[in-house]
Amino acid sequence: MQKRLLIFFAFFTLLCTCVRAQTTISGTVTDGTDALIGVSVRAIGTTSGTITDIDGKYSLSVPEGTEALGFTYLGYREIKEQIAGRTQVDILMSEATETLNEVVVVGYGIQQKSDLTGAVAVVDAQELMDIPTQNLGQALQGKVSGLQIIPTSGAPGAGAIFRIRGVGTFGDASPLFVVDGMILSDIDFINPADVANVSVLKDASATAIYGARGANGVLIITTKQGTGGGDGQVSVSAYTGTQEVSRRLDLLNATEYATIVNEIDANSGRAPRYADPESLGEGTDWQDLIFQTAPISSVQLSFQGGGDKGGFNLSTNYFSQQGIIDGSGFDRLTVRLNTSRSIKSWLRVGLNSSFIYSKSDNQNAGGILQGAYRADPITEPRDSLGNFGDTSLRGNSGNPLATQFYNYNKGQDYRGVGSAYLEADFLKHFTFRSNFGLDFSAGFNRRFSPVFFVSAAQQNEINDLNLTSSYQRNWLWENTVDYSNDFGLHHVDGLVGITYQDQFGEFVSGGRQRIQGSDPSLLYLGLGDQMTATNGNGINGGTFGVESFLGRVNYNYDGRYLLTVSARSDGSSRFGANFRRGFFPSVGLGWNISREGFWDGGELFSRMKIRSSYGVTGNDRIGQDRFTALVNSGLNAVFGSDEALNIGQTLQALANPNLRWEETTQFDFGIEMGFLSNRLLVDVDFFDKVTDGLLYRAPIPDYIGATEPFQNIAKVVNRGVELNINWRETAGKFSYSIGGNATFLDNEILSIDGEGGEFFDGGFGIGGVNSTRGVKGYPIGGFYGYELDGVFQNEDELGTFPQLGQQVIGDLRFRDRNGDGEVTAADRTLLGSPIPDLIIGVNGSIRYAGVDLNFGLTGQFGNEILNAKRASRFGTYNQETFFLDRFNGEGSSNTGPLATLAGQNVETVSSRYIESGNYIRLRSLQLGYTLPADISQKIRMQRFRVYVNGTNLLTSQEYSGYNPEVYPGGQFSSGIDRGTLYPVSRIVTFGLDASF
Amino acid sequence: MKYGIVALILSLSLLMGCSDVLERTPQGSITLENFFKDGEQAEQSINAVYNQLRSFQVHVFPFIGMTDIVSDDAEKGSVPGDANYLQELDEFTHGPSNNGPTGVWAGYYDGIFRANLAIERIPTVPEMDEDLRARLIAEARFLRGHYYFNLVRWFGDVVLITTPFPETNLMARAPLEDVYAQIISDLEFAASVLPEKSEYAAKDLGRATSGAAKSLLAKVALTRGEFANAANLAEEVINSNEYALLPTYQGIFTQAGENASESIFEVQAAAYETGGGGTQYNEVQGVRGATNLGWGFNRPSDDLIGAFELGDPRREATILYVGEILPDGSNVVQPNPDIVNPRFNQKAFVVDHPGGNGNGPGNIRIFRYADLILIASEALNETGRQAEALVYLNQIRARARGTSTRFLPDVTTTDQGQLRAAILRERRVELAMEQHRWFDLVRTNRAASVMKALGKNFVEGKHELFPIPQGDIELSLGLLEQNPGYVQ
Repeated sequence: MQKRLLIFFAFFTLLCTCVRAQTTISGTVTDGTDALIGVSVRAIGTTSGTITDIDGKYSLSVPEGTEALGFTYLGYREIKEQIAGRTQVDILMSEATETLNEVVVVGYGIQQKSDLTGAVAVVDAQELMDIPTQNLGQALQGKVSGLQIIPTSGAPGAGAIFRIRGVGTFGDASPLFVVDGMILSDIDFINPADVANVSVLKDASATAIYGARGANGVLIITTKQGTGGGDGQVSVSAYTGTQEVSRRLDLLNATEYATIVNEIDANSGRAPRYADPESLGEGTDWQDLIFQTAPISSVQLSFQGGGDKGGFNLSTNYFSQQGIIDGSGFDRLTVRLNTSRSIKSWLRVGLNSSFIYSKSDNQNAGGILQGAYRADPITEPRDSLGNFGDTSLRGNSGNPLATQFYNYNKGQDYRGVGSAYLEADFLKHFTFRSNFGLDFSAGFNRRFSPVFFVSAAQQNEINDLNLTSSYQRNWLWENTVDYSNDFGLHHVDGLVGITYQDQFGEFVSGGRQRIQGSDPSLLYLGLGDQMTATNGNGINGGTFGVESFLGRVNYNYDGRYLLTVSARSDGSSRFGANFRRGFFPSVGLGWNISREGFWDGGELFSRMKIRSSYGVTGNDRIGQDRFTALVNSGLNAVFGSDEALNIGQTLQALANPNLRWEETTQFDFGIEMGFLSNRLLVDVDFFDKVTDGLLYRAPIPDYIGATEPFQNIAKVVNRGVELNINWRETAGKFSYSIGGNATFLDNEILSIDGEGGEFFDGGFGIGGVNSTRGVKGYPIGGFYGYELDGVFQNEDELGTFPQLGQQVIGDLRFRDRNGDGEVTAADRTLLGSPIPDLIIGVNGSIRYAGVDLNFGLTGQFGNEILNAKRASRFGTYNQETFFLDRFNGEGSSNTGPLATLAGQNVETVSSRYIESGNYIRLRSLQLGYTLPADISQKIRMQRFRVYVNGTNLLTSQEYSGYNPEVYPGGQFSSGIDRGTLYPVSRIVTFGLDASF
Repeated sequence: MKYGIVALILSLSLLMGCSDVLERTPQGSITLENFFKDGEQAEQSINAVYNQLRSFQVHVFPFIGMTDIVSDDAEKGSVPGDANYLQELDEFTHGPSNNGPTGVWAGYYDGIFRANLAIERIPTVPEMDEDLRARLIAEARFLRGHYYFNLVRWFGDVVLITTPFPETNLMARAPLEDVYAQIISDLEFAASVLPEKSEYAAKDLGRATSGAAKSLLAKVALTRGEFANAANLAEEVINSNEYALLPTYQGIFTQAGENASESIFEVQAAAYETGGGGTQYNEVQGVRGATNLGWGFNRPSDDLIGAFELGDPRREATILYVGEILPDGSNVVQPNPDIVNPRFNQKAFVVDHPGGNGNGPGNIRIFRYADLILIASEALNETGRQAEALVYLNQIRARARGTSTRFLPDVTTTDQGQLRAAILRERRVELAMEQHRWFDLVRTNRAASVMKALGKNFVEGKHELFPIPQGDIELSLGLLEQNPGYVQ
């Protein structure tokens, strides 16, 4: 085989020689010990190039007059080597451990980190693999300054929310995700073990090439390509472990509950219900019953191979996670095949593809959690016959165990994401690239409510089956032409491109009642009563099209002076004809000062670079058809002696034909410094990001009678400082590194356009009272309400202090902030912000011989949480021990109200329900051991490592709820905890990695 | 070769630009641009206005709180602590964020929006039957009149919007007189254009009629103290012979009583197997517990029980007691230890039906003929025509007593004051638990005296009106002013 390849090569080389006078240069590329496979070798100033084979060897025909060869390899320093008449050029590449000269993936290309003018952070596979994680979001938490990661919930398989440099929109503030060139709306499906590296594009110089969708930043994910030496490589990674709820709420026990209910009775003029609360003891601990210790495991098998013409990476992964709430679970099977091939000396093709099957059970835990909070602790979970206890009798709440037991909500998802590309070199310095990507997903969901009876309030008379089948497809076609050339010390490269994207999806649903049984094998529509059949159909996941033209020019002089200019023009179907196109330019400048002749920092101050950028990006994420008024169907009426259903439809939501893009103008200034021969690296970035024309469905008064339209309504600034400090030291067998990052952020609404310049949102509590206010000077989603000043202790105080409405002794007393002698709506104020002022991450690792210890800390400070689940009045629901602090006669409490059904203003938004969101968490702690190379080779292994890992082992938090990371939905209900979010778990796993 | 590939792909790529990546026709929905194009769509837009009558906010939960529970006829019901905002209404501790007023406010204005859109667009529908066009507009105006009439009675001055797309969202409340002028204009238009009940095709039974519009006008006149006008309007309807009292009182609240001769206007509901035609009116007032699986709200008060004359059979027809057999004979009302002395609104009871109680089939009786006869009686008495007033009053009593000779004798007094008291008491018991009582108390200026006599925390000059929703005051940036006495 090898021989035949050689013959082919010789022939091919000969063929080329016929065309033009050429010289062949060959050599070996190593890192000093091992051959490097897949190193890109090019003749500088020409289109000739190749990659090294499995032995690190290359052979390249270069046109006459070629002076130098360039060698690039991800994670290694780029080398430009003068040929100087040689035909054998061997190269020693060194790992870019200090990450200065490494090659960084940027939008539509790669660049040397030292040549960047933009703020781009890179996380490589090594850092991602530090801890076994269920999704990429978790793996990235705390790793990158300016990137905030929030788990959507602790449910099995749940994804993460990403925020780059704060929140610059009232809508979806997620960054754009680009996976191997494919633009996607989520990356929850990605198996973290398949990821080679992640680039986080933060400033306009880096993101403007993504134009209309770059305003929230961009995450570029590159998956592992085929490499491997010798006969290729087989790797196995596996872990297994257990999870448990990391924290419990402090709820009232049976005695405390009965004591409070008795007090409510007494204060409401009724006879106390419980003769002897003490006799009830602790009672039922519902949290104990709904939570369980649950297993989690993952097995990954991958095959990598490569050669001089290309390589492949085939990986398979099975991930299984049961939930800490019984009955919930998630299983995922992933297959990935990445392959590339040189077809001609000027033509390369490749395919990156992944196929995912996942199944999720009962992720809807909101009702169970609410039940566990509210159900009274006196009722037994089950009676002596095994029937569920009726918690509706005392507490007017469902029995959470029954809710859990009768829950049946199962989903299956199939997804294929892939992109095929072709690269052709032409003329002397040009490369044409065409990339076609497809993301196809199909889902199937089955929900069933069996017949059951727990109590009148918790029962189902007729069983009910509902199925939903949906699909979504999204294709992207990108065509770009690259140019790259050096003129002496001047380097110029550039890119122009044209891209199209199209997304569409649809669902069909159906339901029937009276299914002939509740066994899963019978849950099919055909076994239901045809008379009860319902069905539905509509758009799934939105439909839109984007057409774009893009271009970029990079210029640098001797690697010292850097300039990047980029622009993109986007057209989006999400806007009306008049506002469809947007233009997004940017410029970036950089100066590698330490490369100047005059720089004399020595080893101590070994590196200094400054850079700055300015540019405009956009955001169009508002869903489809927002500029068109749509008629709602299904508003039917009954008429006639035969009671027939008459079709009714009309407009219910207003539309706005004048919608346009959100535009973000961002200024960035960065300093990159290296000390002590770059063992200590310090990067600082200052940014100022102003977003104008924020799209939002700002609430309008109910008397308008229709749902509010989207409007370009506001202007917001996110300004801040990002700081990264990394220290690495190696001394023989001992090495360690520690890195810290911090993001200081200030988020502020600069103006609200339109009528009045403010709006209210964040429906809260029983009355749906607005709890957030959008107004100039507030952060996005700032909590708005009264300041608690005390509790009315006596008649005197009722006379002395102003009241909110008609208040009585024992009611909460609010501060008259403006001092006008009354408490009115005007006395409300900003109570807190859901956006942290400071986010930190600390990551460290220590290695000695084969033993390694890694840890990661994350934390956030300066944000508040509105604990909405506490904003209920005393009643017969159970409560937290927080409610033990109550007024019960003068002097008893000046912070909690009287336990009564009639008390005023208990549900009013006030500082009573605001808590600090500060926390610091030991995200991960891992101890590993790698067999010494000589031993592992004896058992024919290249590498063998075992580890034990703990995730979320310790959290220091001020918040009383399960988790201080509370982001249930929109920006104006951020940080509002209604007690329905699946709690996060503490996970301990044992794992091994082996390759041979 | 390579240039061929590059050129081919590039030219294909540029060709894409000529395609319609950016053109998207909204999928699965008709746009407003394509709506109101024919008579069928015009009718659909009107059906959507009727649809809102069935909503939870308009004629179910907040509505019952704002009519019966707040009045002396009923207490909140259910178990203590459940739906506390209704308890607040019962005790007059409700504030401007209470779900009762905020619920009906949002629900009624939603209906008004749908009516406004139809009224604005139906005149421009190309090529449709002109009679149908006129009738549909008149139906929309009738419904708009109904929506505004309840709003104005609850809140006093309200925001008056008669176009679907006002130039500004910031509005103040319009004076009561302007709101009433609009209501009267709408109802007069409806009265002059709509068919009589008998003139509708069988398939349209339940749509607004000329008689319903005139009856509502009579009630508007009565509410405003225009008694001569009220009497004339009421007698016009009575003399149209479109309506008649049912022979038995109990029959009104059965399936057979729906849209029967006594029915002037009802919210039409039906329990289909697949749902989509019912209301929760029956569910929220149903017997709480396994017997009926209702929620048990709207508990008839002791005071209401005391208001019935001895032996008045209407008391039994109005109230379901523990131990009583359900009207359909299916079960016996069980005691419920969690409800203080449980009893329920029998008029909201419906027999077993598909889809559970959330899919209630009972038509909500908005206006029945007995109500109109009592309006005539009251208006005639106020204009000094006691003899005629007595005739009407005694019609109601006669039907109620049926064949009995021992109870409910004819009223004979011709003293205006005594007769007024008799008529108002008759209204109370005849229409008990049908959501009229509160409006009657307020329009006759008796709310304060009656509620205070029951020991309620009623503040005169405040609680006659409900608070304007705090949310809308904020969203109107304070243009909307609060009713006297309410502070958030």
